[in-house]
Amino acid sequence: MRILRSLTDGIGFDLILIGAAMAFLMAMAGLPLVYNVLMSFQEVDMFSLGSLIRPWAGFDNYRSVVAQPEFWLVMKNTALFVVGSIAGQFTLGFALALFFHQNFPGSATIRGLFLVSWVMPGLVVGAIWSFILAGDYGVLNALLQGVGLISEPVFWKSDPNLSLYAVIIANIWLGLAFNMLLLSVGLAAIPRDIYEAAELDGATAWQRFRTITLPMMRSTIGAVLSLGLIGTLQQFDLFPAITEGGPANTSNVSQYWAWQMSFKLYDFARGATISVMMLVLVLFAAVIYVRSTRGEVRG
Amino acid sequence: MNGAMNQIELTGIEKHYGGYHALKSVNLAIPKGGFVALVGPSGCGKSTLLRTIAGLETITGGAIHIAGQDVTTLPPRLRDIAMVFQSYALYPHMTVAENLTYALRLKGVPKPVARKRAEDIAETIGLTPLLDRYPRALSGGQRQRVAMGRAIIREPKAFLFDEPLSNLDAALRVHMRAEIRKLHNRLGATSVYVTHDQIEAMTMADHVVVMRAGVIEQQGAPLELYDRPANRFVAGFIGSPAMNFIDAVTTDQGVKLALPGEPVIATTTRSQPGRKVLAGLRPEHLAVDPDGALRLPVALVEQTGSTSYLVTDTEPMLTVSANLRRDIHPGDVVGLSIDPARVHLFDPATEARL
Ligand SMILES: Nc1ncnc2c1ncn2[C@@H]1O[C@H](COP(=O)(O)OP(=O)(O)OP(=O)(O)O)[C@@H](O)[C@H]1O
Ligand SMILES: [Mg+2]
Repeated sequence: MRILRSLTDGIGFDLILIGAAMAFLMAMAGLPLVYNVLMSFQEVDMFSLGSLIRPWAGFDNYRSVVAQPEFWLVMKNTALFVVGSIAGQFTLGFALALFFHQNFPGSATIRGLFLVSWVMPGLVVGAIWSFILAGDYGVLNALLQGVGLISEPVFWKSDPNLSLYAVIIANIWLGLAFNMLLLSVGLAAIPRDIYEAAELDGATAWQRFRTITLPMMRSTIGAVLSLGLIGTLQQFDLFPAITEGGPANTSNVSQYWAWQMSFKLYDFARGATISVMMLVLVLFAAVIYVRSTRGEVRG
Repeated sequence: MNGAMNQIELTGIEKHYGGYHALKSVNLAIPKGGFVALVGPSGCGKSTLLRTIAGLETITGGAIHIAGQDVTTLPPRLRDIAMVFQSYALYPHMTVAENLTYALRLKGVPKPVARKRAEDIAETIGLTPLLDRYPRALSGGQRQRVAMGRAIIREPKAFLFDEPLSNLDAALRVHMRAEIRKLHNRLGATSVYVTHDQIEAMTMADHVVVMRAGVIEQQGAPLELYDRPANRFVAGFIGSPAMNFIDAVTTDQGVKLALPGEPVIATTTRSQPGRKVLAGLRPEHLAVDPDGALRLPVALVEQTGSTSYLVTDTEPMLTVSANLRRDIHPGDVVGLSIDPARVHLFDPATEARL
C-alpha cells in the first residue's frame, strides 16, 4: 500500500528512474571499467582470459608498458594529437560560431549543413580523408599543386613527419561542428543589449570580445574544451582508416596502441594497463567539465 | 537651425526596416541642458528614434548632429552618448563597481582613479554598500541605479533613456522620476527620455515630443501640448483621463453637441455656423453645475478619495472629474458646464485643430 502510494506521489517513481539509469550505467560502464582496472594488475594470457581470478602482477604491467621502446613516442603523439585537435577544433569552431552569429541571410541553414560532419561515422570520415590526403591521387595535393603552394606531391599518410597531422586534420574536421554548435549556443545566450551598452561605453569590437564575450562564455568554453579532450582521447576510428598508427608508430596514439596490444598482439594485460592510464586523464577532464558547468555566471 | 546652439539636432531622419517605414522625416532640436520626452503609443518608433541618436540603428536618410559635430556615420562608441536601457543591460559578470568603471577602464584610466570615481558616483546615488555585489544580487530599483551610475560616470554629451522606470513599482517610479530630473539639473545634462506614460513625460520634460506611426504629431512645452493640442490624436493622448470627444455642429453662440437634448455650449473658437466639428472636452474642465448647459444622466461613479469620476449614460459617454465628493449616484441627472475657452474644436475629417 505504502509502496504503491510512493509510486503514485512521485517520490518512489523518481527512485525507480534513477535506479534504472544507475543499474544500466553499472552494468554497461561500471563493471567493464572495474574489470579493466583489475586486469591491469594481473598476469593475463590466452588461457586465463576466461577467468576472473588470475595471478596478481602488481605494477609489473605498468612498468613494462613504460619500458616499451615506443612508449614515449606514443605519449608524445597522444599529447600532440589532443592539443592539435582541440586547438584546431576550438579556434575554427569559435571563428565559425562568431561568423554565423552575424545572422546574415541563410546563416542558420549553412550552420545546419555543418552538422553533416557530426552525424557521419568516424570510419567513413576517416575513409574520405584517406582519399583526400592520398599522396598519389589525393584531392588535397591536386589543390595545393594547382595553387602552386607545392611542386611535389606530399605523402601525408606515409611521411613520418606528417602522418600524425593527417589524422589531426581529419579529427579537426570531425569535431568542428560539435564545437561550433556548443559555442553558438553560448553566444546566443548573451543578451544583445549588453553588447550595445558596451559599444556605447566605448568598446571596440575586439574589446567587446575580450571583456564581454570571453568572460560570459567561460563556462561554455570550459565545457567545450573538456568535452573536446574526452572526445579526442576516445577518437579511434580515424586511425585504422587513415594511417593505422604508422609508419613505425609515428602516428600511433595511446587509444589505438591499447587496441593493438589487446587485439593484435593479444597482450590483454598491457592493453588494459594503457587504457587505465588514459582513464586517469579522462577523469581529470571530466572534473574540469563538471566544475566549469557549475560556475555559471549569468545574471 | 544653428548647429552650434543645439546639443542634439536631427534633420529629416528617415528609417526603413526593409519595406517598413519606421521614422518619417523626423526633425528635432534639443538645446544644451534640455530634457526632452518622446511619447507615443507602442510601436510608434520612440525606441527606434532613440537608437538612431545612439548610433545603434543606421538611418536611411537625414543627418544627426551632436554638439555641432556631424555624427551621422559615426559608430556608437565614438558618439560619446550614454544610454539607460529598459532592461538595464548591466554586465552580469562584473561587480557594481566594475560595471560603473567599465567605460573608464576602456579609456585606460588607472584602476584606483576609476575606483575613486565609482565611489563618488555611488555616494551620490546611494549605491555605496552595493559596490562589490554582482547585478544578480540586486533588486530592480538597485539595478536601475547602477544603470544610471554607469551613464553619469562618463560625463557624456547626452543621456538617452528608454523607458527606464517601466520595470519598477508605482511608488518607486514616482520617486525615481524626481531623482532623474534632479540629477539632470545638477549635471547640467542634455537628456532624451522615452516613455509611453504621458504623465511621466509631462512632469519630467521641458519639451515633449508626441509621435505616432513614425511621425512627430506635435512637439512643445508640456502645457502648450495640454492647452493647445494640434490635433485630435495629441488631444486624446495628453491628459488623464483622456479628453471626451463629441460630434457637434457650430452655431451662432458656439457649438451644438450631439448629446441628449442637443445642448449648445459657448466657445471662443468661431467658424461659420452649420459646420460639422468634433468638440473636445477635458474631464477636469467639466464642472458640476446645477445651472450648466448640459444635463446628463450618470451611469457610474468612481471614487478615488481625492477625485470622483462620473461616467455619463450617453452615447458617446463622457468622463467628468469632480474634485469634491458629491452626493451623486448612478441614475441621477447632473448639470455640467464648461469654460468656453476650454472647449477644443477639431475638424472631423483632418482631425486638425480649428
Ligand atoms: N529590427 C526591426 N525590424 C523590423 N521592424 C522593426 C525592427 N525594430 C523595430 N521595428 C518596427 O518599428 C516600429 C517602431 O518600433 P519601436 O521599437 O521604435 O517602437 P516603440 O515606440 O519603442 O514601442 P514600445 O513603446 O512598444 O517600446 C515597430 O512597428 C516595430 O515593429
Ligand atoms: Mg520601445
